[in-house]
Amino acid sequence: MSNGIDPINSLTSLDPIKRLERIQNTQASQVKKGEAEPDFQKILNDALKSVNVQQKDAIQAEDDFAAGKISNIHDVIIRAEKAAMSLTMTMEVRNKIVDAYKEIMRMQL
Amino acid sequence: MLDIFGTMNISASGMTAQRMRLDVIADNIANAETTRTDEGGPYRRKNVVFQEVLNKAMGIRGGFTNTLSTDQLGGVHVDSIVEDQRPFKLVYDPSHPDANEEGYVQMPNVNVLREMIDLINAQRSYEANVSSINATKAFASAALGIGKG
Repeated sequence: MSNGIDPINSLTSLDPIKRLERIQNTQASQVKKGEAEPDFQKILNDALKSVNVQQKDAIQAEDDFAAGKISNIHDVIIRAEKAAMSLTMTMEVRNKIVDAYKEIMRMQL
Repeated sequence: MLDIFGTMNISASGMTAQRMRLDVIADNIANAETTRTDEGGPYRRKNVVFQEVLNKAMGIRGGFTNTLSTDQLGGVHVDSIVEDQRPFKLVYDPSHPDANEEGYVQMPNVNVLREMIDLINAQRSYEANVSSINATKAFASAALGIGKG
């Protein structure tokens, strides 16, 4: 996110002409970057898939343990813990995205 | 640097190793009085040998060839289970079917007190690994809490 608004720079460049210049630069770089970068949907999909894999792995571990295939209890618990951690992480990211969306929707035009 | 799950895997390997150590200690205690084995003679005390796991395939990030990157750290595994070669205990018990001509029986070289101490040691090491997993989780949770303060 190098092209996000830099709070320190925006504070220091109080000169309006410089500011405008900077905004134009940012916009130009965004247009250029847009073609090469993988789209947001793909990134989100991949991330969700990896979380789903963790969840499935935890369920598989529970099944295996119930069937007597796993002798280590901690393996089951740790896998479940990993799944829970990645889900928490996903929820945090989701909350951030929803917050950002709401913020934009609330914008007065 | 390892990802957070890699750190958990290291702790899991430690727990698995301690579990195997528990198996061996349980076997030693169970066979503390065993005078007959498949190889003949009394039971020999068994011991686990732990070995560090290093993923050599992972690239070396440091500037020097002898520096390690944490990517290479893989925890521990049980290298082998070895038999204690110390002599057997001789116990005078002429009524025992395995007693020799002088009435002495060769008993396993297992010291139950020693096994109990090893048992507590294994238990504490296992708990230490649990603590380290909990700490790993606390790190992750703390990171997810950034900005919520």
